[in-house]
Amino acid sequence: MTQTAAVASERPSPETAGDNARAWLDANLPQTLREDILQEREPSIAELSEWESKLHKAGIIGATWPKQYGGGDLGLRAHLDISREIGRTPMPESVNSIGKELAGPIILAVGNERQKAEYLPAILEMRNIWCQGFSEPNAGSDLAGLRTRAEKTGDGWVINGQKIWTSGASKSSHCLLLARTGSVEDRHRGLVLFAVDTSLPGVDIREIKSIDGARHFCEVFFNDVVVPEADMLGSPDQGWAAATRVLSIERATNRMHRAWRFENQLQHLVSACAENPATRRLVEHDYARPLAEVAVNIELLKGHVETLVGSLIDGNEIGPRGSLPKMFWSEAHQDFSKLALEIVSRFPPDMSDPLRAVKRRMEDIYIKARAETIYAGTTEIQLGIIAKRILKLNWER
Amino acid sequence: MTTEYDLSPEDFADTAKAVVNACAEADTTATRIALLADAGLTGILASDSSGGMGLPVDFAVPVLHAAGAGMLAAPLLETMLLAQAFSGTRDDLATAIAIGHTKVTIAWNGELDGSAGTVDRAPLAEDCDAVLVFRRDGSAILVTLGESAEVLADDTLDLERPEARVVITAAEGPVLSAETVTELQRTAQILRSALILGAAEDSLERACEYAQDRRQFGKTLVSYQAIQHHLARQCLAVETIRNSIARSLSPHCEMPVDAARATFIGATGLGANTAETAIQIFGGMGYTWDVPLHRHLRFVRTLAAQGKAAELLDNVAQQLLSAENNKKELQRAS
Ligand SMILES: Cc1cc2nc3c(=O)[nH]c(=O)nc-3n(C[C@H](O)[C@H](O)[C@H](O)COP(=O)(O)OP(=O)(O)OC[C@H]3O[C@@H](n4cnc5c(N)ncnc54)[C@H](O)[C@@H]3O)c2cc1C
Repeated sequence: MTQTAAVASERPSPETAGDNARAWLDANLPQTLREDILQEREPSIAELSEWESKLHKAGIIGATWPKQYGGGDLGLRAHLDISREIGRTPMPESVNSIGKELAGPIILAVGNERQKAEYLPAILEMRNIWCQGFSEPNAGSDLAGLRTRAEKTGDGWVINGQKIWTSGASKSSHCLLLARTGSVEDRHRGLVLFAVDTSLPGVDIREIKSIDGARHFCEVFFNDVVVPEADMLGSPDQGWAAATRVLSIERATNRMHRAWRFENQLQHLVSACAENPATRRLVEHDYARPLAEVAVNIELLKGHVETLVGSLIDGNEIGPRGSLPKMFWSEAHQDFSKLALEIVSRFPPDMSDPLRAVKRRMEDIYIKARAETIYAGTTEIQLGIIAKRILKLNWER
Repeated sequence: MTTEYDLSPEDFADTAKAVVNACAEADTTATRIALLADAGLTGILASDSSGGMGLPVDFAVPVLHAAGAGMLAAPLLETMLLAQAFSGTRDDLATAIAIGHTKVTIAWNGELDGSAGTVDRAPLAEDCDAVLVFRRDGSAILVTLGESAEVLADDTLDLERPEARVVITAAEGPVLSAETVTELQRTAQILRSALILGAAEDSLERACEYAQDRRQFGKTLVSYQAIQHHLARQCLAVETIRNSIARSLSPHCEMPVDAARATFIGATGLGANTAETAIQIFGGMGYTWDVPLHRHLRFVRTLAAQGKAAELLDNVAQQLLSAENNKKELQRAS
């Protein structure tokens, strides 16, 4: 990569943020990171980190964070405009989305000045990569059943317990850890959030191979890990409130680009198929209407995302309504992934590289999409949230 | 929502609900149109010069939402659209429509090629004075019903706004340009979605109420997770329609035309599903004539046909497959 367009001092204004992002991405996305061409190897963490720190320098990442912590001081509308362009660009997902979209906003909300100054710029500059230590072997959907203990000592806390499904933990420098000060029976009470340095003695991280063949998933063991008091985020009783806030962010605004990435995937499939008479027939004839239904769903998804952003700009909280885009996206995207898999399964054996690229991408999407109705609260849990907290239904136990 | 107008769209919601309730007590279409016109609801979109309020489409959304929820038996959608469409070129006519003197409907299916032919899907045509008929060249003509334009009752799925066929032997009357017709059709997509939203939301509310009341196996139906999840899915459907309407009308929407079309296509499927699910949750009771869920279902399916949801889906497919489509991504709505 040779160009380094906008630098920090020339950050985009709210009105032009989307256009600037578009121009910068067009000029700077390296071929080796494009998801719509056949790649010989996966990019390394170092390459991805370098790319992401460039995105930050160009003002594309961190747009809404305060300037003093390396952000762009822009509003959510600009973030949406930028997110659209990120989505439209077939580039890799962030390797630090937990840092940028969960830990960062939480630190901004409940962290103290020192924590903000220390952690926030490091996240944007990719010096720190974060993971999220919430789920445990016996506390998944029922997160309030978590057992990892935080015991107060003279100058800090001693952590003991185990986390699981911790995405990216083996590549991370910090863990957003949810632990409890009391007993499991306390449920939502006495939960506390920490910023844990994963290189501390007693932190043991083991990778788990997931169905897509990757090793992002991890188990994280905490054996008498001493965490300084200064790394507690918020107060001990704020843990659950902060955690539910994390989860509603996760469901609603996290990866705001996904409607447009979804659209990019659909367009990639359709345009790649157009080049060959046999595959063109598939999209123009055999699957035209199901593909159009996907296009309609993408518009409906944008309706959720854009209306939610409008509502946040008007000062409303996300609350349980974060479940709506999460559910709509995960199911619509899984439906698309099944359709796309069926279409690419019918490609001719002498397919060209562009067709091979789309086939590989769609097969990968299909497998990965299985996770979308599980993480950030399973579909069944989202339905429960909607029933109880949006419809406010009353029922007997 | 704050606007440059003195009123907000939400201000119309309560009035609309009250008028729709009053309409339910009235026994003729003419009385209902008069009630709607007296409350100013028929002229929301028509310009000031034709006795209307000249408000943007956002303001009509809560009114049609109330009409859909309250099973309004009047051609309100058609009246609003025609009062707006004739504003400017035929203010006298637009005024007569807006104040309810001339009762109008639209034959949503079929086109005239020349001055004679048959069109159909004209809601409540039997109770109207004139019907708008689309023409092959994209324009449309408002034909007075009578000897040269005969209304024939048709089989109709919709009970509140029964559809009729119109056999035309000599089409004469005021004309709408092709451009105006295109605009009318687009506005209709959003307003139909609002009608569907009302019908779907009322279906969902009835189902929630029933499920919290009816007991089986010693517990209320809603105590069973299968029922909770059914209802939650329909809540997602209703909110999807609502948010998509809002997005289509937002000044921040990049492609409002595409968004309105997708909103309508999506609303027809989601809305029908909500009514169908509500019938399921009511069990045998849901299958009775007196429980009005089937009325909502019939209405939504009829609106899908009137708005040509199936054909629009084909258009989406064509657009997706067209060569210009990739460029479309970068194009910004003005
Ligand atoms: C790709 C991926 C990445 C993840 N990354 C992280 C991460 O970085 N950090 C982290 O903390 N966690 C992470 N998770 C974990 C994720 O949050 C949990 O998997 C999820 O919350 C579900 O918990 P569980 O796996 O224990 O399943 P369980 O809770 O055991 O659920 C199993 C099944 O039972 C259903 N079920 C559970 N309770 C109910 C109920 N009350 N009613 C009806 N059905 C129910 C569920 O819907 C599900 O279908 C990740 C998961 C995945 C798949």
